[in-house]
Amino acid sequence: MDVFATNFATIDWIIVCVYICFPVIIGIIVRKYIRQISDFIVAGRSLRLFIAIATLTGTELGLVTVMYNAELGFKHGFSAFHVGLIETVCILAIGLTGFIVYRLRQLRVMTIPEFYEKRFGRNVRIVGGIILALGGILNMGLFLQAGARFMMGITGYSHPAGLKIFMSVMLIMVLIYTVLGGMVSVVLNDFMQFVVLSIGMLIGSVFAISKIGWDNLFKAPATVDQTAWFNPMSEGSGFGSIYVIFMVVLTFSAGALWQSGTLRALAAKTPRVAKQLYAWSSVSYLARRVIPMLWGICAYIFVSQTPHLLKAFQGPKALNTQFGMPIFIAKILPSGFLGIIAAGMFAAFMSTHDSYLLSWSSVITQDIVAPLKKDKLTDKQRLLINRITIVAIGLFLLIWGLWFEAPVSLWNYMAVTGTIYLAGAFTVVVAGLYWKKASTVGAKIALYAGLLAVLGIGPWTRGENVPFYLTDKFIGVMTFVIAFLGMIIGSLLFPDKKPALETSPGGTE
Amino acid sequence: MSWATLWKTILIFTLGGYSLLVLIVIIGGIGNIIDMLKDLRPPQTTKNSADSSHD
Repeated sequence: MDVFATNFATIDWIIVCVYICFPVIIGIIVRKYIRQISDFIVAGRSLRLFIAIATLTGTELGLVTVMYNAELGFKHGFSAFHVGLIETVCILAIGLTGFIVYRLRQLRVMTIPEFYEKRFGRNVRIVGGIILALGGILNMGLFLQAGARFMMGITGYSHPAGLKIFMSVMLIMVLIYTVLGGMVSVVLNDFMQFVVLSIGMLIGSVFAISKIGWDNLFKAPATVDQTAWFNPMSEGSGFGSIYVIFMVVLTFSAGALWQSGTLRALAAKTPRVAKQLYAWSSVSYLARRVIPMLWGICAYIFVSQTPHLLKAFQGPKALNTQFGMPIFIAKILPSGFLGIIAAGMFAAFMSTHDSYLLSWSSVITQDIVAPLKKDKLTDKQRLLINRITIVAIGLFLLIWGLWFEAPVSLWNYMAVTGTIYLAGAFTVVVAGLYWKKASTVGAKIALYAGLLAVLGIGPWTRGENVPFYLTDKFIGVMTFVIAFLGMIIGSLLFPDKKPALETSPGGTE
Repeated sequence: MSWATLWKTILIFTLGGYSLLVLIVIIGGIGNIIDMLKDLRPPQTTKNSADSSHD
């Protein structure tokens, strides 16, 4: 029996093709609403609560999210659930307290580096913008690859050129409508994709659970460590205490400051809506982790009970573990419904890509090019630079995705590359908002310290017996610690000669 | 509480809570979209008012 055998049929291809035309049409229709740069980047700050929840979920629940969480479930079982639990508690805490997001929205900034300038001056904004763009673009470097692997797994297209073909077609589709419509088209598509994907995921979960059986689901397969399958603190689980600490710091900082998510808070109609958005979305954040992990767990149980599949995932020529979930889904879902799931996932791929492309192109335009040009750019020029940058990032993704493989797992790659930006940004924004003594030198040290996280995707992190100080999780935690210490020591030793720039909000909304 | 029981509870809560959230967001989101597009609509410059200025 072929490993890539699938129920995906002609009707499913038709569903996918029809569905993916909608975003392009919406992109063309909403072009007339884009008159100035704030319309393009933050939809004219017009987002109300429910559409904001849909678009935040649409962004943060991408195909790559489904893939890396499913891979975690496939490799580590229920112990992977701890990442979702930690993230949900962090997002809920941000929503209930308004920590960071409320004050940032009050300041009416469009990007995080714009805050750096308000608080620490233009040089910090440019440095922060470059590091943010670098970390962010590297972070989405494997999105295209993971998306293409999903489509290959679910459609059963295992031709050697399949990865290149899927990556190219998917990239072209997403570039067209992001370049055309900016944030307004992104928001409308996110809503549509939220509806299709959410319903698809819930029904898909019912199929997955019924295939494995509710009671069997909570029995560890014979091929794995029985304790490690459930307990994330067990070293055999592949996580352990350092990893758990890394996840707490990472998910809290990413929740508050990941540009694509924070952009939704900055686009909210009022600071109060920004705060509510996070509290409500904590459920979405839990779902975006737990549901794909559930699919991954079901996939592993299914594979472990099917000898020829188990063999395909073992040995020196083992299939990439990212294929586990799509291959499972392709075998258990009936044709027709498989097309809807594929369309939903493809939509998820597009909704994440468009937002990330928009986020990083906005940062390059607003925080690097515009300040270097001393803000003499017109809105029309900024829109053009944004659109050119989107295309350039797209081409990078194609090349990087064809060349690079995540050393440990897709999620670990995402976590470490995210840390390049987050370690510095979290420290600088928290200190800038809540510590009067925070200085420009301290901010620069913290931002540069984030670059240390690049060490976490090196080849030395790969393999079984890596010393703890060379593991990606240890490098990730230490990057946050060094950035934090850098801010404190730099600020105390080199205080700003002028008083801190004004960052208190003017007026209420 | 064992780890297995904790994850079972989390799974049930996720599937139930997310289903409810999806329903709420679908109902509330459609109204929000209409309001957002109204906010972004360019100000209307009617032909009549332009003509009347020349009268």
